Amino acid sequence: MTSNPGIASDRIQAALETGTSIFVGTIDVNMSPLCCRAIALRADERLETATVYVPISTSRDTLCNLATTRRIAVVVTKPIEHISVQLKGTSRTARLARDDEEAFVRSRLDWLAEALDRIGVPRRVTRSLAHWPAFAIEMDVDQIFEQTPGPRAGTRLR
Amino acid sequence: MTFPGKLSDLKRCFQGVVPSIITTSDGQGVPNVTFISQVHYVDDRHVALSCQFFNKTRRNLDENPLACVEVWEPVTLQAYRLHLRFLRSEKSGPLFDMMALRIDAIASHTGMSGVFRLIAADVFEVKSVDVVEGFLVELPADAGAEPVSIEGLRSEVRGLQFISDRVNRAPDLETLLLNVLEALEEYFQFSHTSVLLFEEASQRLVTLASRGYGESGVGAEVAVGHGVIGTVARERRVLRLTNFEADLHYARAIRREAEAQRGRDALQMEVPLPGLPDAQSVLAIPLAIGDRLIGVLSAEDRDPLRFGEWHEAYLEIVGNQIALGIDRMLNRPEDNVEQAEQNEPARPVPAFKPAPAGTKRRMLTFYKSDDAIFVDDEYLIRNVPARILWKVLRESRRTGRTEFSNRELRLDAWLGLPPVKANLESRLILLRQRLREKCPDIEITPSGRGRFSLRTCPEIELTER
Repeated sequence: MTSNPGIASDRIQAALETGTSIFVGTIDVNMSPLCCRAIALRADERLETATVYVPISTSRDTLCNLATTRRIAVVVTKPIEHISVQLKGTSRTARLARDDEEAFVRSRLDWLAEALDRIGVPRRVTRSLAHWPAFAIEMDVDQIFEQTPGPRAGTRLR
Repeated sequence: MTFPGKLSDLKRCFQGVVPSIITTSDGQGVPNVTFISQVHYVDDRHVALSCQFFNKTRRNLDENPLACVEVWEPVTLQAYRLHLRFLRSEKSGPLFDMMALRIDAIASHTGMSGVFRLIAADVFEVKSVDVVEGFLVELPADAGAEPVSIEGLRSEVRGLQFISDRVNRAPDLETLLLNVLEALEEYFQFSHTSVLLFEEASQRLVTLASRGYGESGVGAEVAVGHGVIGTVARERRVLRLTNFEADLHYARAIRREAEAQRGRDALQMEVPLPGLPDAQSVLAIPLAIGDRLIGVLSAEDRDPLRFGEWHEAYLEIVGNQIALGIDRMLNRPEDNVEQAEQNEPARPVPAFKPAPAGTKRRMLTFYKSDDAIFVDDEYLIRNVPARILWKVLRESRRTGRTEFSNRELRLDAWLGLPPVKANLESRLILLRQRLREKCPDIEITPSGRGRFSLRTCPEIELTER
């Protein structure tokens, strides 16, 4: 089942906006899944490729999984409206994030802190999340799914 | 690092304050990651997850039973990863009912009964728990132990003793309700509370007493089965909601999606919650004796972690005490009541404060078709309490009488009081409270058991339509 192009475009746009909460799912060779919070997502306009930034301190197992299976799912949510999309694809490479990417990662955490503050999570709490140094996971986005809770959740957007 | 404690040590993570996340995979090893609305602690080896839609997660579990759930401690924000193996789906039974209650209440409140519902409680074995090290750069400054439980344990016995004593000593229903709410604030620091009584004939709950609200809300009604309080009344089970606002955000997101697909008319209206507009925690306790519903005791707070598991268990006992006390007041045998009413000497009536000079004339209108009284075009009261007020006002206007008895009310067929369980006392309480708030120029004051005085300022006009 696929959605209409208008909704797909809106949802993809939402995923690229600031103030989103991001999680990465991976799997190991024994088919055991794993979650990990990411801090930032950078992508081209059509979301065909993306770079996901995960804190080094919490992502060791995620990186191990990607080294062996390469399978990755990323859910991007606007926490106030619960609008969500899920990107599925394969990782091309995972590298240490460069110094010139630090400002981008920090700014995304700040935006998330602003968004969560509006629903009662103090900014200082969000800013205490580990975020730097980070790994940058570069991925090909093969599929995009609607993830907003409700009857359309799971609809393929692309 | 493997978590060294027991799963029960992480119970606060399962309160739903911070949404949890789950990763599963299909049989081909393609991962799927999504939020889940409830992770329910079953025992030290098992958790249950709420399944609300036949979604990808559900299908994945049939292909690969392994899953990973990340939960967060709501005070310290420390993250934990639970490595799980799916065991079974329960679609009925105690676990299902317990998890469904919360979802049903939120669904009913947001007008989505039947759309947003629990399909199954999916039970998982917890294979291992990891502490996510390095998750936080630094702990929030106010992170610490849960103070509520400690305080609760200290005052447990004293609180029960105190409330029992107040319930037993109360001479009338109004005093009983006020005493109970006062005691809940004194012993549990519950600052926003209300008691709603069940009216069997209308199948509605009517707010009869409240504490800690700007305007009392006395007289506010909710139908059994509607909203959080109505759901608790229907199910006769305690409901504790933490991070209530977040639950509503989530449910409204689903509502928006459902509206987009099915149209706005396919859903019911959202039920306005009587009470705090920004409540983050809700604790609603059914007041029941056996299967017989007496009412609901509701407490709210702006702190999402205000009500703990301890409160839920302990206040169920307190609720039983209150239910028995209310029932005793409401169901005193009519013969005994009338006898006592006749034998008891008249009470001194507090002085009536007449309206200050220059106060405008008050116009009371009784609308027959709505069975309601309005004061200067503002709603005052309806149904039986409205008819009681209208009867005594007309009688006083006609004869000059200001003293009335409960007995004559019971005998007046126009009032429509049922022959048994008339709940006359609760109707008079409601009437007194509404007059105090909306029309203090009219007072109905107890002047002895089963008697009351009517006092009004002279400038009152009565109209019937």
